[in-house]
Amino acid sequence: MPSHPPTKVAILGAGRGGTALLDLLHQICTIEIVGITDQNPNAPGLQRARELNIPVYERMADLIRNHGVNLVMDVTGDPAMERVLHTQVLTGTDILSGPASRILWELVQHQSTLQTELLHAEKLAGIGSFAAGIAHDINNPLQLILGLAENITEERDFDTIHLQAQDIIEAVKRTTAICRDLTSYSRRASSLQDGEIAMNTKLDEALKIARYAVVLQDIEIRKSYQPDVTVKGNPDELLHVFVNLITNAVQAMESRGTLTLETAIVDGVTQVRVSDTGCGIPHELLGQIFEPFFTTKPPGKGTGLGLYNIKNVIHHMHGTIGVASEVGRGSTFTITFPRAADASEGSPRP
Amino acid sequence: MSEFKSGFFVGGESCNGRVLIVDDEPDIRKVVRMTLQKGGYDVLEAEDGEKAIETINAGENRLLLDVIICDIRMPKVNGLEAIAYFRQNYPRVPLLVLTGFPDTDMATSLLRQGVVDYLVKPIEGEKLKASVARAMEQRELAHL
Repeated sequence: MPSHPPTKVAILGAGRGGTALLDLLHQICTIEIVGITDQNPNAPGLQRARELNIPVYERMADLIRNHGVNLVMDVTGDPAMERVLHTQVLTGTDILSGPASRILWELVQHQSTLQTELLHAEKLAGIGSFAAGIAHDINNPLQLILGLAENITEERDFDTIHLQAQDIIEAVKRTTAICRDLTSYSRRASSLQDGEIAMNTKLDEALKIARYAVVLQDIEIRKSYQPDVTVKGNPDELLHVFVNLITNAVQAMESRGTLTLETAIVDGVTQVRVSDTGCGIPHELLGQIFEPFFTTKPPGKGTGLGLYNIKNVIHHMHGTIGVASEVGRGSTFTITFPRAADASEGSPRP
Repeated sequence: MSEFKSGFFVGGESCNGRVLIVDDEPDIRKVVRMTLQKGGYDVLEAEDGEKAIETINAGENRLLLDVIICDIRMPKVNGLEAIAYFRQNYPRVPLLVLTGFPDTDMATSLLRQGVVDYLVKPIEGEKLKASVARAMEQRELAHL
């Protein structure tokens, strides 16, 4: 509700709990995170806060005694902290600490599990729309295999038999690629797989998967890739993001138009752009497209969770996603990732 | 043109008729050609709907084409668009659909539009030839 002033929250502790809280709370527009602090200057949540432009405090007292903080959330895990806070925090400021903060941490973890489940469920729902593409890719080689095999049963010329048997072997090999693509795409994304992801390869891989869902034959595909663009994150989740963006783009063009895929590093910020020349998104809907269950597709055609999940994955990777669109001209989705923490602390790029 | 029976004129003694196979996959065109040629048909190929329309409008094909076998999912002019064109401009040429994706709604709608058969890949050679023969009969009937 824009009429209410936001609740001002201070976060103590920037370990796993603090990072998860940051990720969750900064998406809620009725909450303003006024700052975060941790005794450990290398705590992961501090880096995350800098990326989100949330102030990082060296001293706890500076944070909790200022800014008209409404609520101090203690996720330090320090059993003595609750008592310390009650002596230091100004009257009028609420404290969430001790058992209450442990329950909050459990809820945050639960929420994160649900989000992972939702992502997987939405991905599997999307695979339902692959049926036509899969059928096309399996039945065409099967037709070749059947036709050649039938011919071989009657053929007397040994050389012809030999050549046609070779063709059958090649057709079978091509067909197995479909199963390989799809089994790897449909698996559950595991957080253990987080690592450096080569963006250009991932976009190409997504294009391969997307062609099961949408017909790309009449789409002109333009690629403008900067070499060696990498981002840290979960490769399976990012693949899902790219597949969704490409599928949406092609659907918006009703299978005819130009799809542009771009990667670039600008001032240390990695950018990935997916553009189409499709129907565009009306201005008044732009604010809603990342909301859960928002869809313009007819019932049964979309879950309304695609862009919502995309936004969550990108935020989880410490990135941002935005859209520019013009009705009748097309849309451009831009994803940006700040330079990875280890890279940003090194010397400037040559 | 009703007295015209192409089978009697085209392609030497063994020609049962002239068939156009429209499919974007060269492999499919290759096996369909192989199967039908063994059945005594003269086979033409087109890689999409646009080429198919060019082919049927080219020279003697306008008159001599007996059956069209058409895929659905193709670039440029897709199968549905091509079939609509053939039905409108060449209503007497029987159409067979040969698709990789069985879709009951689409099949019903196409059969209503006068498509003779809706065939799903992979189809055995004998069944394909039987279907083409059935389409040829319709062609003959249309000319009576």
